[in-house]
Amino acid sequence: MAVATPAVTAHAVLDHIHPEPTSFVRKYVFSIDAKVIGVQYMITGLLFFVMAGLLAELIRIQLMHSDGKFLSNDTYNAVYTMHGSAMVWMVIIPLLTGGFGNFVMPLQIGARDVAFPWLNLAAFWMFPVAGILLFGAFLVGAPDAGWTEYPPVSLQGPVGTNLWCAAIFLIGISSTMTGINFIVTIIKMRAPGMTLTRMPLFVWAQLSTAALSMIATTALSGALLALFLERVFGVPFYDPIKGGSPVLWQHMFWFYSHPAVYIMILPAFGIISEILPTFARKPIFGYKMIAFSSVAIALVGFMVWGHHMFTSGLSPWLQLSFMILTMVVAIPTGIKIFSWVATLWGGSIEFTPAMLFATGFLITFTFGGITGVFLAAVPVDLHASGTDFVVGHFHYVLYGGSVFGIFAGLYYWWPKITGYMMSSALGKWHFWCTFVSFNGTFLPMHWLGLQGMPRRYATYSPAHDAVFWNVVASCSSFVLAASTLLLFINMWWSFRNGKRAGANPWGARTLEWMISSPPPYYNYKTVPTVLATPYDFGNPLPYIGLDSAEGAAATPQSTAGHPAPVH
Amino acid sequence: MAVSVAGHGPDAHGHALVHDEVIYQETRDIRLFGFILFLVSDVVLFSAFIFAYLYLRNTIAPQWPPMLNGKQLPRLDVAFAAVNSVVLFGSGVTMHFAMENWKHENHRKFDLWILATIILGAAFLGGQGYEYAHAAIGGWSGSIFGASFFTLTGMHGFHVFVGVIFLCVLWWQTKRGVYDGTHHFGLTAGTLYWHFVDVIWVALFYLFYLF
Repeated sequence: MAVATPAVTAHAVLDHIHPEPTSFVRKYVFSIDAKVIGVQYMITGLLFFVMAGLLAELIRIQLMHSDGKFLSNDTYNAVYTMHGSAMVWMVIIPLLTGGFGNFVMPLQIGARDVAFPWLNLAAFWMFPVAGILLFGAFLVGAPDAGWTEYPPVSLQGPVGTNLWCAAIFLIGISSTMTGINFIVTIIKMRAPGMTLTRMPLFVWAQLSTAALSMIATTALSGALLALFLERVFGVPFYDPIKGGSPVLWQHMFWFYSHPAVYIMILPAFGIISEILPTFARKPIFGYKMIAFSSVAIALVGFMVWGHHMFTSGLSPWLQLSFMILTMVVAIPTGIKIFSWVATLWGGSIEFTPAMLFATGFLITFTFGGITGVFLAAVPVDLHASGTDFVVGHFHYVLYGGSVFGIFAGLYYWWPKITGYMMSSALGKWHFWCTFVSFNGTFLPMHWLGLQGMPRRYATYSPAHDAVFWNVVASCSSFVLAASTLLLFINMWWSFRNGKRAGANPWGARTLEWMISSPPPYYNYKTVPTVLATPYDFGNPLPYIGLDSAEGAAATPQSTAGHPAPVH
Repeated sequence: MAVSVAGHGPDAHGHALVHDEVIYQETRDIRLFGFILFLVSDVVLFSAFIFAYLYLRNTIAPQWPPMLNGKQLPRLDVAFAAVNSVVLFGSGVTMHFAMENWKHENHRKFDLWILATIILGAAFLGGQGYEYAHAAIGGWSGSIFGASFFTLTGMHGFHVFVGVIFLCVLWWQTKRGVYDGTHHFGLTAGTLYWHFVDVIWVALFYLFYLF
């Protein structure tokens, strides 16, 4: 890449700067600035995280006794249904795509905003509306068929199930809109010189995720529409009495919801890929392998939904195909894990809270991934399906993976978002309390499940020390909830006592750290030109054309006079 | 167009028109890409229901058309639907001519062709309404036949309805001078959408009437 001809394409649109909003409403409520929308997603998502987390505590209180009388059976069913639905659709997906995606991705590609800012605004405001619809179901009779809402139970469920359909449909449309917006932004609006293989890995992860959101989510919309029509107008799709098929719902639901698993984990992979090289002070190991394995996971992710249906009467040949394809997912995932470990190898590692959560992620996510390979094997799944083993498995992936990724990302980008540092000591307490209590909560579920403890039951048999291990899990979950408070205390602390962050407190090298914290509403005064991947620690920064004040704020290194690295 | 422009080199203000043209083209490419992705996600929505229909028909139903209350449901009337399909496909042809005439700035011919498209689209909807009134397959909620037929063709009809509104708005916009012979993103998107609706109907016509 010659410095003399920086522009790969003309990119005149990159020069466009929105007028600065002046009123409070245009600046913070109905803003079209992707950064503000990202923060709105984060605030809303964390609020729902607290609500859905409290629902989880109700489940754990109930299970402290084998003949639990804390909640009625119906209420218990409603509570775990709402916990799962809210955590998946109102917390993890919006935080990772809408939240971090909107704040970080445009900054990382050197853009001033996403491709369709008004679409972004509309997509965000569907999210709180969907959340209110979902939690409003408690007022009219909450859905109680589990977050998967299998018919025929969901057809007979209380009237709140209609609200559930509407809420998930709405958040699905929002997710599709965000997916389209992000794909166009990433493909069309990168800074000059930022070829696909010079994009930060977080951007690669968002691109793969956006493709999944765009394609898979409309299939869920179809399934939900059919469920809604059947519940409200009696249009037969799923009811076997009228010739429909409950298994049809399972196919349509999992055709979305398995890719949704990757929607929930790929952005977390991206966050980890940013944090590990920064705090190991080493170039990322296997940049291209990490980038392409995200795409591979997204592709294979469309062909494995049947592994959720091994007990639903698939033909053995289909079971075998789904089993093998599911195990294939372990290959690109393993490539990522090995690349991350190799990134750490020999690095000068600094254990900031973000790095602790990223390292914790490596352990807990890998554990959850391996139990996932167990469950992919048909014979194991037939035994473990519907037990606490499955609950343990997906909490290791979704809490130990996605939520740890969210925590890591929050600690990492908090100085960029707010301009203030969080307390490192408090952050370390948060990590260690979370890590220990997380394992205390979900590890016992594995052997409880293998011994036959069913999920979604309000009572259980006290045989095999089941009560003891459930009490261990419950007490750990109370600590887990309390330790999450430390995060919120830390946020409050940073506004009161935190030092000003400066442009680049971590010495990171991606573009967002080259400008002030928080970034100005137009992001970049001048659009930079990118000469190489951002992870070459030890080389000069690969950017030219940044406003000189911006560059000086970020790093004492200067790029002037250095030859451009060739890739 | 750009409220504040920075970083495009010292001589750009001297070439404001060229710069505006570049911005127009890039904005058009970005919007067109986004619009095509929207159509792709819409295809998935139809595919979900088509999958549901084929799954229920081939895997679940013992025979097709299925029984309802002990009586064999009839097949759909192919002849009428074929005529109605020709009306819709014809509207795709007239839309093509409308677009070509717009590009060659024959505004009078454009008016005629887009009017023809709108009328044919509305006629298709009318034909579909007639067919709904006369299809003796037990109604929307009677059986899986009615469920998949009325839901899928209803969704498609809704798309045609939106398309007719879309074309009316575009026509009104041309009268307001929004587009010219080379700057007509809205018309391009409208044409794409209209052809998309046509293509979906090809699949539905085969699956419900011929298959």
